[in-house]
Amino acid sequence: MKNYSKITPVGTKDLLFEECLANRTVSSILGNVFAHRGFHEVLTPGIEFYDLFSESISGIPMEYMFKMSDSKGRLMVVRPDSTLPIARMVSTRLKNAEHPIRLYYNQRVYRYNPGLTGRSNEVMQTGIELIGAKGKRADLEVVTTAVEALSKCVPDFRIELGHAGFFKALAQKLPVNREEREEIRGFIESKNYSALNSALDSLEQTQAVNVIRKLPRLFGGIEVLDEACNLCDDSDALATLEYLREIYNDLSKLGLGERLIIDLGLVQRNDYYSNIVFSGYVEGSGEPVLIGGRYDNLLDSFDAPAPAIGFGINVDALASVMMNRGNIPQGKSVEVLVHSQKGYEIEAIKYTNTLSEANIFGENSVFETEEEALAYAKAKGIKKLSIVGENIKTIDTGV
Amino acid sequence: MMKPLRIALTKGRLEKDTIKLLENAGYDCTAVREKGRKLILPIGSGEIEVVLAKAADVITYVENGVCDLGVVGKDTIMENGRSFYEILDLGFGKCRFALAGKAGTDFLSGYNAITIATKYPNVTRNFFEGKGMDIRVIKIEGSVELAPLLGLSDAIVDIVETGSTLKENGLVIIEDNVAPISARLIANTASLKLRKTEIEELADKMEKERAKMQ
Repeated sequence: MKNYSKITPVGTKDLLFEECLANRTVSSILGNVFAHRGFHEVLTPGIEFYDLFSESISGIPMEYMFKMSDSKGRLMVVRPDSTLPIARMVSTRLKNAEHPIRLYYNQRVYRYNPGLTGRSNEVMQTGIELIGAKGKRADLEVVTTAVEALSKCVPDFRIELGHAGFFKALAQKLPVNREEREEIRGFIESKNYSALNSALDSLEQTQAVNVIRKLPRLFGGIEVLDEACNLCDDSDALATLEYLREIYNDLSKLGLGERLIIDLGLVQRNDYYSNIVFSGYVEGSGEPVLIGGRYDNLLDSFDAPAPAIGFGINVDALASVMMNRGNIPQGKSVEVLVHSQKGYEIEAIKYTNTLSEANIFGENSVFETEEEALAYAKAKGIKKLSIVGENIKTIDTGV
Repeated sequence: MMKPLRIALTKGRLEKDTIKLLENAGYDCTAVREKGRKLILPIGSGEIEVVLAKAADVITYVENGVCDLGVVGKDTIMENGRSFYEILDLGFGKCRFALAGKAGTDFLSGYNAITIATKYPNVTRNFFEGKGMDIRVIKIEGSVELAPLLGLSDAIVDIVETGSTLKENGLVIIEDNVAPISARLIANTASLKLRKTEIEELADKMEKERAKMQ
């Protein structure tokens, strides 16, 4: 039988030193942003009942989830997303909590990706959820938190805004069934112009059809909204455009300039997005590093209706971009090696502790002889060696 | 200077057709015509870089964002497609997926389990799933036509241009509306957002040339 004890499973990896530091640095920068803005950290279980993530609620296809059964044979999944567990938590343990509830998380999520494409099945994700608040102020609060979070890591990010309601309003007017509608949505999501055209060609050419035909191309600056306004007169669709314009104008005051873009073709599979949706992109990452939106109907599934909005950030992707750009500050290295003469082992450990209290990085030597300790310090580039005996004697190692 | 826009081309016929299209659009493609063994080649005045790759790899490079754009057949997209934008039907490289079997056999009726040989197991499975049929798929790398002749499978699903290879081997097309195929211009999702102007400009030029070619 093949022995798998020395390899990690497909889509996972060990993070060593620099990579680990990059990952932790990003988590901590983002966590700080969230905490300073009044969000409170929560952790949810690594395994959950499958029912929580059933496709009709989560939009995550069954084959993307790691599944197992518990001791009673019930179907379990390894957490593929953090928003649903938080929705569950809010509807149960925080049922009586005062609204709005401001939460953030930093934990790994697990999804099977089609093999051998280099994608991870295990991703560190951090994000916020603002639950129990609706309206523009709540939307601005969350989007500006996203802006601040990204600007603390990579100043040249782009934030893209869309509105799930725009497509929904137009799609309602199409003479198609649910399945065909889903197919059309898929073509818009993948900006598959030719397939979308052929799907729409067979329909009666109404105004809604014409706008939907142009949807994949309706992305760019504020001019996109003008263009869309000229194309349609559906009042619901126009209202979503008007709302996006307000949000866009407000956000412009942050001086984002061209980094703020609009994509009316942002129609994610996650059917739970009901209103404004947004994504964040950075040069050097082939996929969005941030995805979020308003999901006012999701908590209905847990019998605790409440409006909500949030986003998640792919920490691994952001960390790798920052590392490649050399933007991760190096950790401090050991400055002193503390070696004890025989009988002074505990004194040496105490001395190492006093160094650490003074914020000096000291390593306690585990060698038997002074010569070995000195050789080790030289090899590791440690500048000083302290010998603890009757007295403490510190010498330069000459590196 | 901005880093060049990187476009991955499927080696072979799609590469030649794309280069022709790009030359017609006014890009200097000398480096690709005289490529030797190089795999990354500058075109135009260096604002675009061409990468030559196998079809399925084009998708992988674009999906991972190391190439911004790619030219690949719809057949490869249907077999491997995942998340990227499919922004233009280039119109060349036309063919179609077809289901073909030995002449004179009626394998679709009856109650026996059906075996299909193909280079495109996902396309095949989806096609029969759509018909509500349960089949066994065997993946073949080379000449798929051999499988039914040797008795390995009842039929094949493969791409067909003229159908002459099938005819010579005594196979007939049972259904050829499995899907129409042609070359597509695909774009990485983040690249399209980050480099919209450059990508749209190139796509527009290509679309205009395509219209002229037809």
